[in-house]
Amino acid sequence: MEFLSQTYIALRGPTGAPQSPADTISRLADRLSPSTLIADRRAAVLSLKGLARDHKADIGERALPGLLDVLQNDAEIDADIGKAVLETLNVLCEAEDGASAAARELGFKHTDQVLADEKAAHKIFALVGEQSFYLRFAALQYLATVLQNRRQVVQGHFLKAPAGPTSFIVILDDKREIIRNEGLYVVKSLISQSPEIQKILAFEGAFEKLFNIVLGEGGIDGGLAVQEALACVDGLLRFNQSNQSYLRASSLPPLLLSLLGYPPDLPHDAAPPQQFALQLWDDKQKRANAALVVSIIGILAKSTGPNAHDALTFAFNRCLVEIGLASNMPTTIKTQALRLLPTNLSILPLAHMVLTPYIPVPDTNGEEWDWLEPASGLDALVELVLHGEYNGILEGERRTKDGMELRAAAMGVFQNFVQKDEIREAIVQAMVPPADASEPAPVTPLLYALTAPPAQPLTSAAVAPTHLAAFLFAHLLRGSPRAKALALSIVPRPSSQGAGSFFVPADGAPAAPEPEAEEADEPQSLLSILSEHLSLALLARARADTPEREAREWDRLLVGYLTLLAQWLWEDPGAVRGFLEAGAISMLVEPINQTADTDVAIPGLCAFLLGVCYEFNREPGEITRSTIYPILTRLGLDMLAGRITHLRDDDRFKAVGPDTVVLPYPGVLAPHPAAGAPKQETDEAEVWFDWAFVDFWKSNYHTIEKAIATDPNSLSASAGQDTAMMVASLRDVIRNQASEIEALQAQLKSLSATAQERETLHEQIASLSTELQEAQEKSREVEKEQEDLLVLLDELNVKRRRDKARMREAGLDVSEDEGDEGDEDEE
Amino acid sequence: MAGVAWHYVLKFIITGDAAVGKSSLLVRLTDQRFLSNPDPTLGVEFGSKLITIPEESKVVKLQCWDTAGTESFRSITRSYYRGAAGCLLVYDVTSRQSFLNARTWLADVRAHADPNLTCILVGNKIDLCAEDGQPGRRPREVPADEADRWAKEEGLLFVEASAKSGENVEAAFVQATRDILDKIKRGMFDNDRSPGVKLSRPSNNTLTLEDDSTRTRCC
Repeated sequence: MEFLSQTYIALRGPTGAPQSPADTISRLADRLSPSTLIADRRAAVLSLKGLARDHKADIGERALPGLLDVLQNDAEIDADIGKAVLETLNVLCEAEDGASAAARELGFKHTDQVLADEKAAHKIFALVGEQSFYLRFAALQYLATVLQNRRQVVQGHFLKAPAGPTSFIVILDDKREIIRNEGLYVVKSLISQSPEIQKILAFEGAFEKLFNIVLGEGGIDGGLAVQEALACVDGLLRFNQSNQSYLRASSLPPLLLSLLGYPPDLPHDAAPPQQFALQLWDDKQKRANAALVVSIIGILAKSTGPNAHDALTFAFNRCLVEIGLASNMPTTIKTQALRLLPTNLSILPLAHMVLTPYIPVPDTNGEEWDWLEPASGLDALVELVLHGEYNGILEGERRTKDGMELRAAAMGVFQNFVQKDEIREAIVQAMVPPADASEPAPVTPLLYALTAPPAQPLTSAAVAPTHLAAFLFAHLLRGSPRAKALALSIVPRPSSQGAGSFFVPADGAPAAPEPEAEEADEPQSLLSILSEHLSLALLARARADTPEREAREWDRLLVGYLTLLAQWLWEDPGAVRGFLEAGAISMLVEPINQTADTDVAIPGLCAFLLGVCYEFNREPGEITRSTIYPILTRLGLDMLAGRITHLRDDDRFKAVGPDTVVLPYPGVLAPHPAAGAPKQETDEAEVWFDWAFVDFWKSNYHTIEKAIATDPNSLSASAGQDTAMMVASLRDVIRNQASEIEALQAQLKSLSATAQERETLHEQIASLSTELQEAQEKSREVEKEQEDLLVLLDELNVKRRRDKARMREAGLDVSEDEGDEGDEDEE
Repeated sequence: MAGVAWHYVLKFIITGDAAVGKSSLLVRLTDQRFLSNPDPTLGVEFGSKLITIPEESKVVKLQCWDTAGTESFRSITRSYYRGAAGCLLVYDVTSRQSFLNARTWLADVRAHADPNLTCILVGNKIDLCAEDGQPGRRPREVPADEADRWAKEEGLLFVEASAKSGENVEAAFVQATRDILDKIKRGMFDNDRSPGVKLSRPSNNTLTLEDDSTRTRCC
């Protein structure tokens, strides 16, 4: 109180005359100069703080430099003045969202002034490291404000601050909850979009501290602090490869699994414990925390790096699958988990994984749960797509947005799973009756849903399985000629037979009436069943007395059939023939011809399918291209092309994107508009097209547009002139290749000739060298022999000379020696 | 599960001039492969590796932060010095300048890092000046004994290595680790107090985190 009165007296001045705020503020600003006593400065700061809210601009103009000096020089020494100056600055820099544009502008201006000098920012970071509660808290609050206003500038200063990262890590350890929570908030915005700061904090051990907070606050059952800490972990990891590998290499990741109650070292063949699968999810905070944990798991599961098959990655992915298919987690978290599964599902043996799905016991308000028979992951997935979460028990007739999103996410997983041709073919093969057995192949749930006859009156709950089954089946066939060929031979058991009570075991005596039954109810191929249901649905739709909401469901069913057929018949002349022979033309022409209809989707799809039938009708059969062409011309080629292009303008078609399949159900069509429809109807949602089809259609509709205009006799009208050009270019390619082959063959021939030559030469050399060896040996022998002979001769000579001498001595007549002769000659 | 068991976690930084092969050394250590044409590091990259010191029968987890050598990242990379227990100061044996600059880097490290930090001087790229003249061979510009002498003067460990052939790469880290373990034994690193060294119970239950009390620093 004392200082207030002193200040008042000082402010009032000697005269007591009224003062303008500007005068007061400049006087107070003067008092901030370092030459005054610290107590005076403190008093001045406190007065300015009191005036700050009402005179932002004046204080900013006159006192801001003084305040910054105080911040620089006094804040560390005197906690009170430090707190006061930070709070004053905070008021000056605030730019709340709700404030007027001018006020916000002022806040930004002041922020820029403070941040212009990095020394001020560094001082604030240093003050965050101070132990004093008020000082630390005020510094954090001020940081939060300037971060909100000018994040990038603050981040730049932070990277250069001598005390930056360390002080923040200390805050995360602060036992005082208020400081720690404020610190979490500041860290969250500090790391946003700055990989460098993310890495430094990771280096300083932020992950460890954050997980400590999460654990200390009770895991996902904890409060807002847990959510903030998890959000920081998420922020440190997202788009930061370096931090992801840091965390993966640490001992922390298994902790994420245990936070959800999933044992990190669960053996592959063991089911996760019930306390994981069934938890209480009433607490909103727990849902938010769990959602964050799941998203972090998703990041780590994707960043596999060099070891995509390690145990941790597998555990992460399995945990995500378990959450999505066999738990009672909130629907949104399930959707999130399924979306986070990697697009390359080869590391996950979905078909061999055994899951135990749970369903709530009806009318227990989600408190009692039954578990179903263990099923393979793939079956559970298909089941989820076709019949919704918990078989639609909780949702009933309504299609909530969350429920539809979950089914769409499951569809995405299925699509990723069947990317590989072998997997698709195996799945389709399982629906084909074995060639030898009399017994038809078992009807899989997918096939059953696909071939279920449309019920009348049609409800949304009845349409969804068939509609979505058509999408799944299209995923199996799209672009795979072998899968399409297999699908042609699918002959499902007539569904009227129900559970197969008709069924005679193969080894039992055939019942007498069987042949008749066969005749009466001959099993139809899948394709003809589909065309039959298609024509049924077209008829039902055309009926005038169908209520609007039901008509919409018929349309949806048609979209399912038509999109599947369009993708199946594409480039498959065999299937086209089958479809045409089932009476396709007349059934497709009808809706195309409708004139008064506002709906563009069904006529567009029909026209497209008709075009596909014309284009790919390449096999000889009853209905040839020449039969169809007059029909096309009678309908009008322009009109057909128009119908096809108009599909593009359909809102339901336009709205579909790679990640948006589920659309809100238009409120106008709510079921009881008159009876004051309950508000919850607004979150009802629906699915019309999937992205895969939209993508398929967009890349191919142009081809069909052109194809319907081509002459029936033109050979490959795939794309009119384009094709001609393509054929020409392909011919060129072939010609080039042929000549190349020829040249290569010639080269090969000459090469093989030289090779042969070489070989003979080699042989020659070999034989010659052996010959040479032999010859050498022989000559050596001869030489030796010769030497021996010479020696012998010498010996004989000696002997002879001796004998001659002896004979001469004996007076015998002796012939002259050659040697002697020689001597004589010489003489 | 990732049943990683280690006795210590040590933080290493790798620093030195641009293009002396810091990232290549790290990749050689962690992935046993050679980066033939790496991009310059931006900021900092992380890598980790478990090594065993047989005579101490200790498993040590090395957390290595590979820093950018480019000048523009200096202020960022400095933030990492403080928390490190070991430092690889790298130069290129075929570039005298990089060796001379090592002095500046060392001064920088000394100014910011823990005084007990173990620093090892690593002369990289010795494959380039191997005796058999391969193509792309470059003459050695820094004699080994000169570097050795300087390292002794400054109290650094020293080794010459090649990230390309892998020669001495792990040895460099092992040598530095030994030195740190030795310092720990002599009590120079107080486990709770140095951010660069962390003691971890081997094969500990991963659910419990070490509750290391951290001290406040004012720098």
